[in-house]
Amino acid sequence: MSIEFNMKDGVITITNDVIATIVGGTAVECYGIVGMASKNQIRDGIAEILRKDNYSRGVIVRKEGEEIHIDMYIIVSYGTKISEVAHNVQSQVKYKLHQILGLAVHSINIYIQGVSVANQL
Amino acid sequence: MTLEKLDGNILAEMIFVGAHHLKSNCKKIDALNVFPVPDGDTGTNMNLSMTSGVAEVKKAKGSNIAEVAQAFSKGLLMGARGNSGVILSQIFRGFAKGMENKESIHTKDLAEALDTGVKTAYKAVMKPVEGTILTVAKDAAAEAVKLAAKESDIISLMEKVVESAKASLEHTPELLPILKEVGVVDSGGQGLVTIYEGFLASLKGEELPDAVETVAEIDISALVEKEHHHIAQDFMSSEDIEFGYCTEFMVKFEDEKLQENPFSETAFRNELSNHGDSLLVVADDEIVKIHIHTEYPGEVMTIGQRYGRLINIDIENMREQHDAIVSAEAKTEAPPAEKSTYGIVTVAMGSGLKALFENIGATVVIEGGQTMNPSTQDIADAVKQTNAENIIILPNNSNIVMAAEQAAEIAEENVTVIPTKTIPQGISALLAFLADEKLETNKANMLEASKQVKSGQVTYAIRDTKIDEIQIEKGNFMGIAEGKITATHKNKEDAAAQLLGNLITEDDEILTIIYGEDVAVNEVEQLVDKLEEKYKELEIEVYEGNQPIYSYLFAVE
Repeated sequence: MSIEFNMKDGVITITNDVIATIVGGTAVECYGIVGMASKNQIRDGIAEILRKDNYSRGVIVRKEGEEIHIDMYIIVSYGTKISEVAHNVQSQVKYKLHQILGLAVHSINIYIQGVSVANQL
Repeated sequence: MTLEKLDGNILAEMIFVGAHHLKSNCKKIDALNVFPVPDGDTGTNMNLSMTSGVAEVKKAKGSNIAEVAQAFSKGLLMGARGNSGVILSQIFRGFAKGMENKESIHTKDLAEALDTGVKTAYKAVMKPVEGTILTVAKDAAAEAVKLAAKESDIISLMEKVVESAKASLEHTPELLPILKEVGVVDSGGQGLVTIYEGFLASLKGEELPDAVETVAEIDISALVEKEHHHIAQDFMSSEDIEFGYCTEFMVKFEDEKLQENPFSETAFRNELSNHGDSLLVVADDEIVKIHIHTEYPGEVMTIGQRYGRLINIDIENMREQHDAIVSAEAKTEAPPAEKSTYGIVTVAMGSGLKALFENIGATVVIEGGQTMNPSTQDIADAVKQTNAENIIILPNNSNIVMAAEQAAEIAEENVTVIPTKTIPQGISALLAFLADEKLETNKANMLEASKQVKSGQVTYAIRDTKIDEIQIEKGNFMGIAEGKITATHKNKEDAAAQLLGNLITEDDEILTIIYGEDVAVNEVEQLVDKLEEKYKELEIEVYEGNQPIYSYLFAVE
């Protein structure tokens, strides 16, 4: 799907990919996040950390009526408070989407797909 | 007073004082919060996290430092609130890990624990953003590690840690543009500095003054200026301003009016938003301040009057302002860019030649050449324009060499003239230029290169004349080799062939042809075909020079 803005001189269409890239880019800057994960873990491998080009596999943008919902799949770092990290991601993503796209999202649902212990001390 | 050993009791005390100091400063820290989300809760979040940490420490209080640190870490983790709280919990998780199995510690252990804390904190983030609490923690720990080898006093060590954390904090706006824009230091970093300050005060047995509770009010005027700043910078013209009046006023609430119309900041804001943009509404119990860009200020103020009296009214016509700003901006010069090491000024005619020179490294190409010599002033201006430390001028014409030398004399910069007399010489000289080399080396190489090349030019005669024993008729083409007329012909291609016949010897390898604006592409192709047949070993390069006067410029090397 894509999101449309009706402007004075025409229409601006923003595709899911753009939103996914912004959402993914914001998420990986959040503290406690190790990466974005694919929604389809079985098909794409166990908790594979997505590369930048593939963020859209871990970010789902849904439009229900006028409301925009975002589901995102992430991997967090071992030893952080997961609920708090996820909450930070929610507020940061919401803020960034509003700032960059002027988009007010209704909900951001976070699915923790994995905990990374690989790079512990 | 010195302290060489740190045990659980002392650490617990440090944590209590640190937490208390953070608490009394948390409003101040909130006010700094603009990153990652400007929601002004960093201080509060850190305080709540710390409080949870303190509660666990109280339960575990004992003389074993590993246990105290572990309890603190656990409390922080459980109570972590907000981004800064989570980072704080990670810093002290690593810190506790660094103290594992230890009864008490010395400076070296403390430094290592701080360092482990930083490493742990950094590991939990994919793309660490510098200029945040992470940077402050890192710089402070680095200082501790550096000093620990020779410093055995924990108090002095902690003093240096606080100092370097503060220095790092002051530096955060340089690393994180948003901080600089708003003019604050990082809030999380400030929180960490505050905690460290508490640690130090506890070690020294000093009392820390409670922070004054009044927090500097958010500076609305600064915000307003920022709004205007954007408008002025934006690429709109005065006609594009939809809402023409920047309207600022305050409403002082009146009880009887409020009874009739209860005030809700959100509802009020929503209502005003229909009347314009750039809206700011800030309210407390007594007053609401409004900033809005609107076309009808009166209507907005009427709405405000429902709740009380209007005070401090200030309305500006932004269309007028915008015109003023734009014209003022046009006058202000851009800040001087940093000087480059080398600047190259050269003279050429024709768009193709200009582009050719620019492609091979000329900074400024002055329009000019035969019959249109640039003045000393033109060259001096071009020299200024390069904004470089060392400027090399390639005049490319014997008539311009003098002017170039004069320009070099009057210039304040370090100017060198390589006396190139033809365009091919200029090109060769420029090709020999290497930006990494010293000026002296470049000078020698360029001069040498300009001498290596043989120049030929084909141009037309504007009147009948006789030069160097050659009779020339008006309208005929002349071939000039190294400044001497050696060929003349009715047809420019024949003049070119004749000229090249004199110019090219068996030792030559490359012929560069730059054709002028009066030459058609098929004419060049014919000439090249002819030349290729005659000089089988020669490599021929062709450029479109678009130069006037000279049909052909030849460089033979």
